[in-house]
Amino acid sequence: MTDQPRILVVDDEPQLTRVLRTGLKSRGYEVRAAADGLAGFEAFNDWHPDLVITDLAMPNVDGLELCRRLRAVSQVPIIVLSAKGEEKTKVEALDLGADDFVTKPFGIDELLARVRASLRRATAPPAMNAATPTILDSGDFHVDLESREITVRSKPIHLTPKEFDLLVYFIKHSGKVLTHRTLLAALWGGNYVEQNEYLRVFVGNLRKKIEPDAATPRYILTEPWIGYRFEPDPQITQIT
Amino acid sequence: MNTDYTERWFGYVVAVLSVGVLTLFLKIIGAHVNAATVSLALLLNVLFIATRWGSLPALLASIVAMLCFNFFFLPPFGTFTIAATDNWIALLAFLVTAVTAGQLSASAKKRAEEAETGRREIERLYAELRDAFERASHAEALRQSEKLKSALLDAVTHDLRTPLTSIKASITTLLDEVRGRIQGEPPVMLDADSRVEMMEVIDEESDRLSRFISGLIELARIEAGELQLRRRWGAVDEIISAALLRAEPITRGHRVELNVEKELPGVRVDERAVSEVVYTLIDNAAKYSAKGSVIRISARRAGEELIQMAVEDEGPGIPSDLRERVFDKFFRATRDGDIRNHQPTGTGMGLAIAKGIVEAHEGTIWIESGSGGKGTRVVFTLPIGDDDVVEEEQRPAATVETR
Repeated sequence: MTDQPRILVVDDEPQLTRVLRTGLKSRGYEVRAAADGLAGFEAFNDWHPDLVITDLAMPNVDGLELCRRLRAVSQVPIIVLSAKGEEKTKVEALDLGADDFVTKPFGIDELLARVRASLRRATAPPAMNAATPTILDSGDFHVDLESREITVRSKPIHLTPKEFDLLVYFIKHSGKVLTHRTLLAALWGGNYVEQNEYLRVFVGNLRKKIEPDAATPRYILTEPWIGYRFEPDPQITQIT
Repeated sequence: MNTDYTERWFGYVVAVLSVGVLTLFLKIIGAHVNAATVSLALLLNVLFIATRWGSLPALLASIVAMLCFNFFFLPPFGTFTIAATDNWIALLAFLVTAVTAGQLSASAKKRAEEAETGRREIERLYAELRDAFERASHAEALRQSEKLKSALLDAVTHDLRTPLTSIKASITTLLDEVRGRIQGEPPVMLDADSRVEMMEVIDEESDRLSRFISGLIELARIEAGELQLRRRWGAVDEIISAALLRAEPITRGHRVELNVEKELPGVRVDERAVSEVVYTLIDNAAKYSAKGSVIRISARRAGEELIQMAVEDEGPGIPSDLRERVFDKFFRATRDGDIRNHQPTGTGMGLAIAKGIVEAHEGTIWIESGSGGKGTRVVFTLPIGDDDVVEEEQRPAATVETR
């Protein structure tokens, strides 16, 4: 056993798994590759990686099914590799619990940034103060769930109940790509999953209250056509 | 509306005038006609008005005719009084007959017109329905073709993007290592083997892109019917030898059995193109069957005018429901047809191009099971050819599908 983070790469394209294996190994990760979802799931059970990178279109068990199976047994971070034209499948994968995505063709740096962010999130979830379990600390945000008070960069802000719930949900899922559907279902319930405009309004209001400049958000980042990603501590992450 | 109205009034005018003119005419030749002739002539006129202008002008004609009959032809002449009882009966009979005949014939005409209108209406409805149906099926065809186009586009972008992804990821890895060394940035541990591996990937994937693009161009040419065949008399065994020579690096791990019938006639084909077909089939056979297995290549005469060639492997075979589809461009049985195989797959264009070439030669190509029901056997026929066809070289490939 080494203390190197373990990454499982699942892709039916042998050349790409070759490149990713070498590229990731050179950055100090331990890597295994599988050629389809079925082999990927077997490797996961056998090897317990810290992170899974998976393609979507594969023979046998595809990326979507792999996400579904993995989420049934584990909270391991999943990064999805998707091609243009697979937007729908990508959103489906995120809805099924994938954490992030990279669009082909990508540079290894972009993938590595996503890998680092996902691993950091997995190893250090938002700190719940042990003494007072109603306190949520994450980056620039300090939340008292009991009194429903929030400070951003040590400044108290006033939120409506729905805005408060939305922000707490964002903080609890920091760094993860959250689809419109996921957010709507979590905040408003299953009947509202098509009502994207609700979300747009609340995110807009929330940005005005927490962002230094609502026009160029640092905390609530838009993933076009997909949803949002919350970054509680923009200083330490640079995902571009 | 307006024309109907004018037409109706015209009917009334004609009704009155025609009776007047007829009466005048009968009066002039009066000496030779009796009352029965007059009444028949006037009845005829009423019938004519009825069939031409309908019941109301016919009714008017009946009344005017009755008055004229009475006034001019029933004694005492020149008055509306009638002396004899039988003349009253004659007048009444005339009136009843005229009105009844007029109305009957008018209604018969109306019914005929209604039937005609009905027929026209049905025709119109039929035409409308047919048009609507045609539009619908056209729209459906368009929708299908759009769907097909977008599926093809997806396939093409996938095939372009996949090698690009490997190339880009390799290059950024190499670049990071070099930059790291120059600028003393965080270490990227790439040993010499890894560096070579990255460069190999770039090399191979660039070749793959290049092959894919060549295939696309060739396919586009075939589909546009622009495949220029340079037909010359050639020998079948030479065509096969050329393909085998080219395929030598990929067939090294296989055993190749050649079975070419003796004394085959020459064929009038584009040798380069047909050799390409044979090469594609050998390449597929080698790709989709285990190393050490046998690839059989054969050529024989099939009937008076055909040469039949076949390439057979001992691989997993192609299920019968996919044997047509593998000739569709970008269709890959290993990817789209649920056949489990992790070997690097082709571009999905080889067989489509082969089919295009064979059909441009007026030949046919199909797939069957290998001998003993195992493996895949791809067979194609070529007409031996004919010296008379001179303009053949200029003619674009007529049998190639165009869209």
